[in-house]
Amino acid sequence: MIDLQVLTQAVGDLDEKTILTMINDFVATNPSGEDAQKVVFACQQGMAIVGDLFERNEYYVGDLIFAGELLSTTIDILKPVLSGVATQKVGSIVIGTVQGDLHDIGKNIFGSMAEAAGFNVYDLGIDVSPSAFVEKAKEVKPQIIGMSGVLTLAIDSMKSTVKALNEAGLRDSVKIIIGGNPVNEDACKQIGADAFTTNAAEGLKTCQGWVK
Amino acid sequence: MTDVVALTNERNQMFRDLFSGKTPKRVPISNPATQDFAIQYAGLDLAECQWDLTKLEPVYDKFCQDFITDTYPGGSIRIPSHYQLLGSTPIIMSSSGFMQHPEVVGLLAEEYDQFIASPYDCIIETILPRLYTELNGEPGKVAMALAKAMRVHSDDMAYLGTIRAKMNAKYGFATMGAALTEAPFDFMADFLRSFKGISGDVRRYPDKVSAACEAVLPLMVKKGTLPNPSMLGYTFIPLHMAPYLRDKDFAALYWPTFKKLIETLAEMGQTVQLFVENDWMRYLDYLYELPENTIMRFEYGDPKLVKEKLGKKHIVSGFYPITLLQTGTKQQCVDKAKELLDILAPGGRYWWQADKSIINLEASGPVVENLRAVLEYVHENGTY
Repeated sequence: MIDLQVLTQAVGDLDEKTILTMINDFVATNPSGEDAQKVVFACQQGMAIVGDLFERNEYYVGDLIFAGELLSTTIDILKPVLSGVATQKVGSIVIGTVQGDLHDIGKNIFGSMAEAAGFNVYDLGIDVSPSAFVEKAKEVKPQIIGMSGVLTLAIDSMKSTVKALNEAGLRDSVKIIIGGNPVNEDACKQIGADAFTTNAAEGLKTCQGWVK
Repeated sequence: MTDVVALTNERNQMFRDLFSGKTPKRVPISNPATQDFAIQYAGLDLAECQWDLTKLEPVYDKFCQDFITDTYPGGSIRIPSHYQLLGSTPIIMSSSGFMQHPEVVGLLAEEYDQFIASPYDCIIETILPRLYTELNGEPGKVAMALAKAMRVHSDDMAYLGTIRAKMNAKYGFATMGAALTEAPFDFMADFLRSFKGISGDVRRYPDKVSAACEAVLPLMVKKGTLPNPSMLGYTFIPLHMAPYLRDKDFAALYWPTFKKLIETLAEMGQTVQLFVENDWMRYLDYLYELPENTIMRFEYGDPKLVKEKLGKKHIVSGFYPITLLQTGTKQQCVDKAKELLDILAPGGRYWWQADKSIINLEASGPVVENLRAVLEYVHENGTY
């Protein structure tokens, strides 16, 4: 059987070779869905280590991106043995880069970390209009909406999106978090969001607090 | 001599003093708002005006008249026409009309050796056809696409140059030349391997990343060279990836060729202006090693610490948070300008610029009034 503690540590260390060897060896044993679930959980714990190291300034954004890539590769390898197992999701989040802005690196980092933490993540992509956020929120009824942007024009688009959610009567049923280079406390207040962050790991903690 | 010519001379002298480490007559000012802002300020459609440059002259005239600045407020401009003709993927227009650089991959990981062996050939033969769809096809068609795009680009630049010359003649701005280049590691990330790609490469094949940065360095020097190095002006280098790297990756992969680039340009007698994007506070000791009078425009960080560590050797700029213009009162905006002036102006070596460019204007928002108040405050209170 795979040593889950060693796997967790390897994910924390972003040790690609060790992770891929362990996961491939594990899948080759034709494991049960329940065992595969434990492996996913061990990887999630490894991602929590990555998040901690990021908060302690030992890892930086480049490391988070690499971690996201490693995790999605790992999940892809595990998918065949995971199928048929009901997965317990901790909550659902709709995310997108707001209208007028095409930058998606921060959003993608947050998305992959949220997924790793067990959220159902609906990613609307880039240059997302207020109405597209509203439509998706109506459809999937998320607990959380995450808006991302890098340009200062994103602040105005975030404001319009919150306004549109208000007009659609959806504002009170969701928590809204904004993220990206230009956001700060004042912008957050003006936009009417519930929280802001320039740090994906911190943003994830905020979201986890909301769905507890 | 007309008043306007005298004004240009005076402003040129301020920048000559600033760039050579002497204390100028007053703190020079550059309006952080750009052409995109100017178009919206004139009440015109952003996308339309970028396709039809003939609409821009009155746009600039009003913009130059209403906001104090010592330099022409053209900003860095990406005109869409030639990008469109080339089938550009690295620079495209968003729904708001703002030209942007999304994440693209121009070079595959398995092509590193080809790139390192001959970066120029690899860019021409492999990377450009991948990034620009119209450069990928039959040679005749590619030649036509390139010819059309370059013709349009040179027409656009000439037209904008005419507007610039008219505004300089009317408003007496400093006349500075500028070249643009990138740190080798940033070039590898932004246009070749992508943010995501380079983040993996740093861990998977650091030796190749390092060799590629060395290989592309001469091209980055060439791109950053002014027509005449002794002319008044600077090489602008927007820095990107360093804050997202671990210290050891920065030291091994980013810094060596970046330092060589700046030193080479400085040895040629050129002034270099760095846009120090995001937060570089953990790299201040590295920045200190760069040649004297390198201009550093900071986005985030501690202005006091920067003045203390770099203020006697380098020229400090930036830090003014433009989001405050969107969210603050006029008084708060002016107070912030005063705070930065008090910290950064003493002893000279300070150029008033904001932490980033203002590209957007919400018509009902307070930005116009706040920006004008800040520019006026610095203009009146920045004298030595």
